[in-house]
Amino acid sequence: MSNSEDKSNDKSNPESPKVGRRGFLKGAAAGAAAIAVTPAANAQSPSSYETTLSAPTYQQIERDTGMITAPSPDRSVLRPGSDLIVQALKDMGIEFVASNNGSSFEGIQESIANYGSPPNYMPEFITCLHEETSVDMANGYGKAEGKPMCAMLHGTIGIQHAAMAIYQAFYSGTPMLLIAGRDDGFIQAHTANDMAAMVRPFTKWDAQPKTLPECLDALHEAYRQAMTPPTGPVLVVIDMEIQKEEARDMVVPAFQPPVIDGIDVATARDIAQSLLDANNPRINVGQLRTPEGVAAAVKLAEVVGASTSTSATQGPMSFPQRHPLCGPGADTNNDFVLGLESESPNISLFRPTVESLTQSRDDMGVGFGGMRTNVPASGRGAPRQRPGTVMSIDAEGSIPVITGEAMRLISANQKSKIEARKANHASANQSAYVAALKEAVAEKKKGWDLSPVSTARIYAELWPLIKDEDWCLASPSNFSGGHHRQLWSHNKPYSYLGGQGAAGMGYGAGACGGAALAARGRNRMVVNVQTDGDMNYTPGVLWSAAHHQLPMLTVMHNNRAWHQELMFIQYLAGVRGRGTDRAHIGTTLRDPFIDYAKMAEAYGMAGEGPIEDPTLLAAALKRGVESVKNGEPYMIDVVTQPR
Amino acid sequence: MKNLTLFVILAFLLPVTVSAQQMGPVTGDAENGALLFYQHGCYGCHGYSGYGRQDLNNTGSAILTNEVIFRAYLRGRQNVAPLLPSTAMPNYPANVLNDELVSNIYAYIRSMPENLPESDEVATLRAILESAQEPYTP
Repeated sequence: MSNSEDKSNDKSNPESPKVGRRGFLKGAAAGAAAIAVTPAANAQSPSSYETTLSAPTYQQIERDTGMITAPSPDRSVLRPGSDLIVQALKDMGIEFVASNNGSSFEGIQESIANYGSPPNYMPEFITCLHEETSVDMANGYGKAEGKPMCAMLHGTIGIQHAAMAIYQAFYSGTPMLLIAGRDDGFIQAHTANDMAAMVRPFTKWDAQPKTLPECLDALHEAYRQAMTPPTGPVLVVIDMEIQKEEARDMVVPAFQPPVIDGIDVATARDIAQSLLDANNPRINVGQLRTPEGVAAAVKLAEVVGASTSTSATQGPMSFPQRHPLCGPGADTNNDFVLGLESESPNISLFRPTVESLTQSRDDMGVGFGGMRTNVPASGRGAPRQRPGTVMSIDAEGSIPVITGEAMRLISANQKSKIEARKANHASANQSAYVAALKEAVAEKKKGWDLSPVSTARIYAELWPLIKDEDWCLASPSNFSGGHHRQLWSHNKPYSYLGGQGAAGMGYGAGACGGAALAARGRNRMVVNVQTDGDMNYTPGVLWSAAHHQLPMLTVMHNNRAWHQELMFIQYLAGVRGRGTDRAHIGTTLRDPFIDYAKMAEAYGMAGEGPIEDPTLLAAALKRGVESVKNGEPYMIDVVTQPR
Repeated sequence: MKNLTLFVILAFLLPVTVSAQQMGPVTGDAENGALLFYQHGCYGCHGYSGYGRQDLNNTGSAILTNEVIFRAYLRGRQNVAPLLPSTAMPNYPANVLNDELVSNIYAYIRSMPENLPESDEVATLRAILESAQEPYTP
């Protein structure tokens, strides 16, 4: 038993009423008999139906109760293996397990629901209506927090439902822990010898332990694998026998978090010296792994007084956009540039990515695009030559070493120069930001008052309402114009969570739900500018959001089409000389239009719309923000321009 | 015709702009043009009212100088499909949109309202610009 193991599992409170299975059945039989004798006891009953009832026979009662043999008065298992599994999840800090229930993991599900004090907390069971949603939620959470959430899948069928979302998470390199239940003795179509094989090419690591101790070790290792670059989804298949066996006094081993290597001290010293010796150093910051990495990057930039770039408008875990050092700086002629998960003409540090796993994981030789070694030289995902010296090492793990060396090497004279440089950068970056914003506003106000509503107006109207809140834009924005990039300030590691990973639809709502799980206990709100095509893959997310009271504002970018495909077909029909008037076939969502406010209502979520008049938008958004701040998710259906 | 095609190509490639005074007459039916604009999916890239991925309003594009140039532009688009999907402007031969229909679409485009309010007049836009002056807080 681990030090932190919860010992308050015993429900045998002498004060509480006890109803065992035998007692319940006895009561049921007595109840049935009571109903049966009622007509005789109450001859004035107006119901002629009741007079036809007669007392059930003993055989009928046995049949109705399923011929169940009463168990022993003692619990057959006092300390099920699944309690230890849940304890391991607690020890690793897993906050949530998202799942669509399934018999193959009923042991773990029951333990989540009943083990611990309070039960169903750290982790909390999140009820999903589809496994794709479970994994998308874990994806959104992982991107926002930089650590794994768990999604639990039911046998072969659950894994296959989840496969698409796992695929997206793999391309995004999102750390997540997947558990699949396996029950070899139940429905044969739900089990397999090697369950993980179905998703092995696009998971980082998997295990199918044979014993409970192996299982606990596998869970710990899974977490470490998910978090260690290349980060990604990992899968542990857990047999029912392991979940249900009596663990007796088995100990949950202490969890050892991953140790992630950074740069060696000698190299770090060279880089630090270069940053300090430069008259105008710069640090290009890409996507780091965790909020701690972002904080470390800020510290390094401040210590050496470097202007910085950020990828915070493209995805999570990058440099704060409005930090005084972020921007072009006072002088764009940089004499030394350090790239942290970003390119540099001098030195850049890049952690290994999931593509490096292809040789070891794709044992079926599927050859998924973007992970192949023989990628075509053109097209999306094609490899490109990076400039400068590229070191294959985790930047986040290296930053503290570089900062430490810089602080050790810095002279008083350099400190004074750095402070002056920082002030100049701050002033220049502020001016640049104001100029860029003015330019953006001039661009985004096009079609301001026209109907349907412009997508730019949605983002513009949202900003004054959320800018003083702790917010997270969790929905991909490429298909809705990406207007936040120019209009909003992305200062948190989770300000914007980026794209789908594999550019697949059906990701947005689920990912927003996961980000909202992370937000719920952190006084944060999630904004979901939700494209309509994407929404219809897994609309059940709305119910999960309502059920779990997730702080999520969904604003439908309802252009009533899969618009990218509409444009593709238009072009193809056009160049074939056949006209574009039939391009809507198969690419639009019309005849009938979908009413998303009613969809939300059906799933128990407050909402309104469709809004076509742009002058009604701001008030609706305000109601939505207030609702979310009060703990209730909200949906606003806005009929929009195509993009 | 050769010179016209050359002009259209140049109009497309060069940042040539024309003023409202230089625009040619409108002869088509704008109402029917609006219907065609919708049916043929022009809104896909140009928005329902001329603001979109490729604006039609306030661009001063030489392609919109007059009906003749506009028609030549539609006819002269690329008519060989590349292997990769594209969202470029499609080709519109005469069997798809005859000259009258082109004139109607042209009339609709010319009727599109300008909608560029002054930023200072819109409270939301004002608030966004003012937010740029707020200090950074981690």
